[in-house]
Amino acid sequence: MTEKAHTFSTILASTVHDMKNSLGMMLDALNSILSSIPDEQRVKSANHFGVVQYESSRVNNALMQLLAIYKIENEKLPFNPGYHNLYDFIEEQVVGHSPLLDAKGFEVEIDIDDEIELFFDDSLLTLIITNVLGNAIRYANKKIRVTYEHEESHSILINDDGPGYPKSMIDMAGNYLLGINQSTGSTGLGLFFADKVAGMHQHGDKRGKIALENGGPLNGGIFKITIP
Amino acid sequence: MMKKPLVRYSQKTVLIVEDFAEFARSLRGMMSTMGSKKIDLVYNGEDAIQACKERKYDIILSDYNLGDSKDGQQMLEELIEFDLLKSTTVFVMVTAENTTAMVMGALEYQPDSYLTKPFNGHILKSRLDKAIHKKDVLAPMLRNIRKKKWKDALKECELIEEENPKFRMACERQKLKCLMALRQYDKALELTTKIVNERPIPWAMLGVGEVFFAKKEYERAIDLFTDMTNEFPMVLEGYDWLAKTQRVLGRPIEAQHTLERAIERSPKALKRQKLLGDVAEENDDVDTMTMAFRQAVKYGKNSVFASPDEYVKLTKSIGRQLKGNSDVDRQKLLDEAESVFSKLDSRFKSDAGTQFRSAVAHADFSSITNDQQKVEKYLAAANKYYDRIEEHIGCEESLEITESLKHLGQSELAESILEEAVEQYFDDPKFIEQAKKLTTNKNLIANSQKANKLNNKAIKHFSQKEYTKACEYFGQALEIAPNNVNINLNNVQTLLKRYQSGEKKPEILHKAEELLSNITRLAYSDPRYERYSELSRLTQLMMQSL
Repeated sequence: MTEKAHTFSTILASTVHDMKNSLGMMLDALNSILSSIPDEQRVKSANHFGVVQYESSRVNNALMQLLAIYKIENEKLPFNPGYHNLYDFIEEQVVGHSPLLDAKGFEVEIDIDDEIELFFDDSLLTLIITNVLGNAIRYANKKIRVTYEHEESHSILINDDGPGYPKSMIDMAGNYLLGINQSTGSTGLGLFFADKVAGMHQHGDKRGKIALENGGPLNGGIFKITIP
Repeated sequence: MMKKPLVRYSQKTVLIVEDFAEFARSLRGMMSTMGSKKIDLVYNGEDAIQACKERKYDIILSDYNLGDSKDGQQMLEELIEFDLLKSTTVFVMVTAENTTAMVMGALEYQPDSYLTKPFNGHILKSRLDKAIHKKDVLAPMLRNIRKKKWKDALKECELIEEENPKFRMACERQKLKCLMALRQYDKALELTTKIVNERPIPWAMLGVGEVFFAKKEYERAIDLFTDMTNEFPMVLEGYDWLAKTQRVLGRPIEAQHTLERAIERSPKALKRQKLLGDVAEENDDVDTMTMAFRQAVKYGKNSVFASPDEYVKLTKSIGRQLKGNSDVDRQKLLDEAESVFSKLDSRFKSDAGTQFRSAVAHADFSSITNDQQKVEKYLAAANKYYDRIEEHIGCEESLEITESLKHLGQSELAESILEEAVEQYFDDPKFIEQAKKLTTNKNLIANSQKANKLNNKAIKHFSQKEYTKACEYFGQALEIAPNNVNINLNNVQTLLKRYQSGEKKPEILHKAEELLSNITRLAYSDPRYERYSELSRLTQLMMQSL
């Protein structure tokens, strides 16, 4: 890595760190405001609190992905795969969104056998799954369903009851940088990152990948990540 | 879905270690929402260790980043090293970003879980529930490992794996530890290759290489560690092992290069910086040597793993810079060396051995700058401390001190230190080679070789179970080197064997006891101490049955 790139990486990392701390402190401050106001008023602000929490977790996630992509480009991203229980892993991602899921009355079904152990980097996959769940909460109505499929490789599917992915996005398969479209607000970051990280998971001559579809039991969007 | 047993947080003692007051408060809030009542809060690693000395916690939540004080990982290492945690204590490391600068998964000392900020109380609870459940299941095995009962631990692993397939990998990892401790290398190799053939897990890959290293198959170890650094460039232990192997094979230049690659990725490692300094010294690369020991002193500031070594070696490398280079900023280097000496003296002020070593090095350093007054001052100090030393001076340190004293024209003291060292460490061929260059006393080396031969002869008899013969030769070796700890311990072990295999005479045990009581200068930190204390324990045990 060149010295310039190294300096940039250091600044980027420390800035992300600082911004994340600010986000955390904002949330804590909000928490203490909430606990100091009367109950009936708190119920009224619950929705607003949910919004603040949701948006800050989005900002946080985007920062993390940005930093990670930068590190991938400079071969500095640690890749630390291991065996993880899939149900536990997914459950935790859902739990992370629980305040907003509850506030919006979402129903999340995890249809995954308790015994499945998959080999992946959990901290990288967390960023992807959290992001997909976050988008589902934003675009879908009331339901999210997470399932597991095993053919030659292992796939995690996240299905929702929203309007589904636009056709233009589905067609981008494998070239998610094209998804950057300021008029629709899609930055392409999430999919680009997911695709990169999926590809880092290799086994033999097989590589991980992601795919977007519409339909499924909930008749909405389906995000599918496959790891070998 | 399988239900996990309900965790009663109201019964659990909790320690929160977090330098950020806001976040510490928020963690406390989360814990009390879960029902915890006994929550202690500290803001740095030093206070955390103090708190753990006073109370054994069930749950420790610690930030990785703790400002200027030691970081969460250093703190965890100390807590484990000093046995301040229960086998069931759950340690959760909180990190600011999950793409930390390195892969922690291959570290020897692991927290039970990592959590990335920001997270809510639900996630914390879900993590803690799982980690507490897992730790409770593994506790019987971990207890055996703590007591170094490797065979019992292995059995326990099998049982746990069978009942909880979910914890298979955690058990396999502990099994590897037991097999290595038992020196069952073939079994260890079988275990690790089986895992690696399925998936390249960093700790298992390292394990394969470590087995090759232990079996002295160095070329295969090199291949493996090289693959490892290519496939997992952020697993820094891979570089450490690669460098270690390259060094054994006499390739210090390659070893230095390997270590530099690791340090570029993570400079904050005391052990790695020290190793780099030593390798650079071997390569006569004074700049790198100085830099490495400078960093080692810096990162050792908050660590209990700091030793006088890096301080003394830093002053040595500064001395070499002053000697070799005319365009260096001399005053700055002089000031630095003086400050290093004063830090060394105050940090290890209760240890006469270190004070002695420091005084000798200080006198040696002062001679480089022709400061005769200081040379005399520190030589006088050295002589004063020498009489107070109660413990054996280490092998490397003895050579270093002898060399400095010779350089200062103090041949008499130099020879007497070397003589003591030769008596202790003559079974180390590398040491003897160095000692030969330093001594003027030809008999010294010849005698030590005689003792070494007798010791080897005795060991051979021992392995053929001819214990009486073995004792005879150990006795002869001790006539030449009466204070040699290893031979004394060898003799004790043989006596105990004689007693166990039927020769039930009390004199035998009395003799063993006498030999042990002659070992009075063994430091607690000496690598031979463990063997000494184990043999003392066994002797006492057998004495009770008299």
